[in-house]
Amino acid sequence: MIKFLTRRFLQMFVLFVAFLTIVFFLLHAMPGDISNQLIGNPNIPPEQREILRQTLGIDKPLIQQYGIYILNFFQGELGKSFSRYPSDVSTVIGAALPRTLVLFLAATIVAFWLGFKSGKLIAWGRGGKIEQSYIVGGVFLQTVFYPWFALVMLWFFGSQLNWFPLGRFIDSELWRGTEFNANTVFNLLILSVVIALAVFGLMRLVISRITPDPIIQSRYRRMASIVILAALLVFWWTSTMRVYAWDIVHHTMLPVLVLAAVAFGGTMLLTRSAMLETLGEDYILTARAKGIPERAIRDRHAARNAMLPVTTSLVLALAFVIGGGIVTENIFSWPGMGSLLLQAVTSEDVPLAIGTLSIVGVLALFGHLIADILYTILDPRIRIS
Amino acid sequence: MSVDDQTQVTEPLDKELEDLTHGAAAVTQVPMWRIRWRLFRRSFARNWALFTENKMGLAGLTIIGIFALMAIAHPILMTFVWDPAIYDPVGGYDAVESIVTIVEEVTDPATELSLEDARIQLNPFVEVGEEIVTVLQPAPPSFSGDYSHWLGTDPQGRDVLSQLLFSTRAAFLLGAIAAITTVVIATTVGSVAAYYGGITDSIFMRFADLILLMPLLPVLFVVGPLFGLTMLNLGLIIGVLNGFGGVAIVLKSQALAVKVKPYIDAAKVAGGGNGHVIFRHIVPNVLPLSFLYMMFGVTEAIAIESTLSFFGLLNVRMTWGLMINTAQTQGFLLSGVNYWWLLFPAGLAVSILAFAFFIVGRGMDEVINPRLRARG
Amino acid sequence: MTVSLENLETRQVDPTKPLLEVDRLIMRYQVKTGEVSAVEDVTFTIHQGEAVGLVGESGCGKTSVALSLLRLLPSNARFLSGEIRLNGEDLIPLGAEEMRRRRWKDIAMVFQGAMNSWNPVYRVGEQIRETLNTHYKGVLDYGEQNALMERLFAGVGLPPEMLERYPHEFSGGMRQRAVIAMALACSPELIIADEPTTALDVIVQDQILKELKRIQQEMGMSILYISHDIAVIAEVTDSLGVMYAGKLVEYGPTDEVFARPFHPYAYLLLKSTPSITGPRRQLSPLEGEPPNLEMPPTGCRFHPRCPFATEQCVTQEPPLVEVRPGRRVACWNYEDVPELEEALLK
Repeated sequence: MIKFLTRRFLQMFVLFVAFLTIVFFLLHAMPGDISNQLIGNPNIPPEQREILRQTLGIDKPLIQQYGIYILNFFQGELGKSFSRYPSDVSTVIGAALPRTLVLFLAATIVAFWLGFKSGKLIAWGRGGKIEQSYIVGGVFLQTVFYPWFALVMLWFFGSQLNWFPLGRFIDSELWRGTEFNANTVFNLLILSVVIALAVFGLMRLVISRITPDPIIQSRYRRMASIVILAALLVFWWTSTMRVYAWDIVHHTMLPVLVLAAVAFGGTMLLTRSAMLETLGEDYILTARAKGIPERAIRDRHAARNAMLPVTTSLVLALAFVIGGGIVTENIFSWPGMGSLLLQAVTSEDVPLAIGTLSIVGVLALFGHLIADILYTILDPRIRIS
Repeated sequence: MSVDDQTQVTEPLDKELEDLTHGAAAVTQVPMWRIRWRLFRRSFARNWALFTENKMGLAGLTIIGIFALMAIAHPILMTFVWDPAIYDPVGGYDAVESIVTIVEEVTDPATELSLEDARIQLNPFVEVGEEIVTVLQPAPPSFSGDYSHWLGTDPQGRDVLSQLLFSTRAAFLLGAIAAITTVVIATTVGSVAAYYGGITDSIFMRFADLILLMPLLPVLFVVGPLFGLTMLNLGLIIGVLNGFGGVAIVLKSQALAVKVKPYIDAAKVAGGGNGHVIFRHIVPNVLPLSFLYMMFGVTEAIAIESTLSFFGLLNVRMTWGLMINTAQTQGFLLSGVNYWWLLFPAGLAVSILAFAFFIVGRGMDEVINPRLRARG
Repeated sequence: MTVSLENLETRQVDPTKPLLEVDRLIMRYQVKTGEVSAVEDVTFTIHQGEAVGLVGESGCGKTSVALSLLRLLPSNARFLSGEIRLNGEDLIPLGAEEMRRRRWKDIAMVFQGAMNSWNPVYRVGEQIRETLNTHYKGVLDYGEQNALMERLFAGVGLPPEMLERYPHEFSGGMRQRAVIAMALACSPELIIADEPTTALDVIVQDQILKELKRIQQEMGMSILYISHDIAVIAEVTDSLGVMYAGKLVEYGPTDEVFARPFHPYAYLLLKSTPSITGPRRQLSPLEGEPPNLEMPPTGCRFHPRCPFATEQCVTQEPPLVEVRPGRRVACWNYEDVPELEEALLK
């Protein structure tokens, strides 16, 4: 398994360099002078311009420029942003990246979980009107014009029902005058969740050492997860940042839900077809002959196997979540990489645009890798060759 | 006739085959093309029956038909019914005058104008309660008057219905360009890769992996405005990228399944060259699946273009996405459903057409892949 | 019945008492165009500790009978009449949950192509444990379950470490043995083996059959063998039933049926298998094809292919009657069969 994954990682790496190469040539194919693209910002004082010229190697032959470009990239040197001069592109992206990651992860997890559950249920049911309406609903969500849909959702849940704020990251009124920085609070939130997950992972290991009996194991695991969840909630409830943390969470919920809603449709439809295929397998008949209750057959046998093709398609869903995420951020004025990208592109801030695009590519690559890892974990035929 | 002598073996076989087919035609007095046509009609009828079993596929086709009518309607209307000066989707203009009441807060933009707006746009001295004649832009739908605007006008005074119909044509064109390009490329790539295998296969598949890795929308976000993409450019780019990407991989597996069938060997033995085998034998059997992906390709192309236009990143004359963009950039969407005719017709048009192509695709899927068909 | 590792091994059997009685069973599948008569008026009895075989061509209904016993039929199957009595209790009127409880615990099944019976994502041991958790919840603890499974594996000649492996790590023959071990897990009174040796090479086939016979005798179980391979059946069964087109056409002790088959179909079936050791005989292969069960032939279903058919066979369906003690045939002309055959040969 390690061998397989290392090979995949190297493949991905090569592909990513190819991607960077394409981006580089895109940069140079753009109409306009390359030096204008990279340093043609009137804000830059002439001395700086010269330094940049050296760093980016604009006057050198193409191949050298390419080499410099790649090297720079892997050192984190992405140039200076035009629209936010003199900020480094990497700094600007660095602030936005964690937020976008949260959006993507949360939306993907919600979409996948809901989509899988519902796909599983409707595939198992006897069909009929309910199944048809779910399918239509799923297709509708998959094909609806997303910006329009997001707008309608924002208007409906934000403006009409007032359940969620009308976009943006925080309520600036609320934060005026506090010593807390939105970014810090946000990062702290992420950190606490990551720690909680790490602790849970550790507990799982400990539990599996204590007893081999899976029934007792799951009981302990349940207790552990409740304790950890409670600890997390208590920590935030008693913290001085409580109100502000909630503000951030509240602002993040609707974008996540809207993005998840659209990705959910695809997962559900896919799970349904995967389940239908699994139902024809021999081991399902054997499970029934063994007297296993219907629900267990559906969940333990059929769904568990259906998960495999669904995970493969996670890769496709990824492209959608990334694209959809960008639209979502812009509609909700949520300050992540998507907003950054649009801003960069509309203000012709080429370094920022190219830099953001490259990082989005990195995200896509990691997404692919994670999907591969997941698949290897789920399918013992690959794990144990 | 010895087996060692290649030329001697192939020539007579070819000739025999020729004689046979022509013989069949000669015997039955029916020309070959007619036989082929009848076979095609019969299999088509069978597949149609399967397709129409599922009501949704049929509904999808109907919807597409309706949109096609809309697309055709536009040039007809423009030539015979509508005055271009008023109704041209890009350059038309109609100053719709109406009587409005000045109010504090607008609840019905058709008959009310806010005090603030009135003071800025017209006369700084107007008061609440006054009725004045003014030009409303965007105007709500009206069915009477000098010029009727069934869906109202947009913020620049252009007829929304005309825009909607014009954009339908644009959508079909874009969808066609993207989908056909994708399918032509993907089918060829898939068939060639499957047929030759080895290095050719690896190269194409690695390339496809690369394309799969790239998230299309973000790339287009950057390329669109910075390169000034037009409809045609966009269609071709989407078509080419998808053609070499995921679809090629799927079609390649299909081509592989076809390649191992005995009639491929038979064709080769009968002396078919590589090109002949690929294009006369493998491709036709991959085509049904290709058509399937063509449907999904149209859905995707429409969605991408609309999204890009929505953000104003494309150089297009008029599309549904652009319609909503115009409304948004001029701030008419923030007030919710007051200006519904700016948001809903275009948004629904995109969604419904994409939906229609998708379910037609799903309907075709059930015909081509019977495992998804009715259970129990 | 209390379960412990000890009484897993042996069971007291009384070969005269019936374990499973199939009594005039009629089962049909509803299809768009009508009904498919899959099991028509089938009656036979499996006694305690007995090995019974059902042979016939593909589609003759033998698998349908097997699936009916466990009620594993697709949703379009209907029981029209008859009873399936397990230890005197009719299974057909039982509710779904009731039936589920009896599966595997009272009757277990080894499927055709048993190698695919395994779910690829779980370990083999886990899948066997699943049956124990379903039917003996709370009776055995984790450690006892492990001990039981190791005994089961030892019983079929598999090393206990393999319990921790995944199905794809087993060879074909090993998977088959593992399936048998799993079937024994809840010590059922009856095991149905549907084509247990198809897709295995002859050597492994032989081993599996011997294994099954040994287990059956040691544990006092009854087995119902379903097969189209008569040679296999002949080796391991005590009684034999021949099925054709949904009907049971002959039934009796295996060696007697082999020595002198009464029904023409049974006769032709047995005579179409060349014997390695016996004298060289004229092979009389069966002509024609099995009938369409949606519209079966009138009278005796075999008459279109029967070289001995008479007027009566076309119009009247022969009942399954006991013509000798323990021998039942459904044929109007069964007595004349050997003589008629001689006449035909000349």
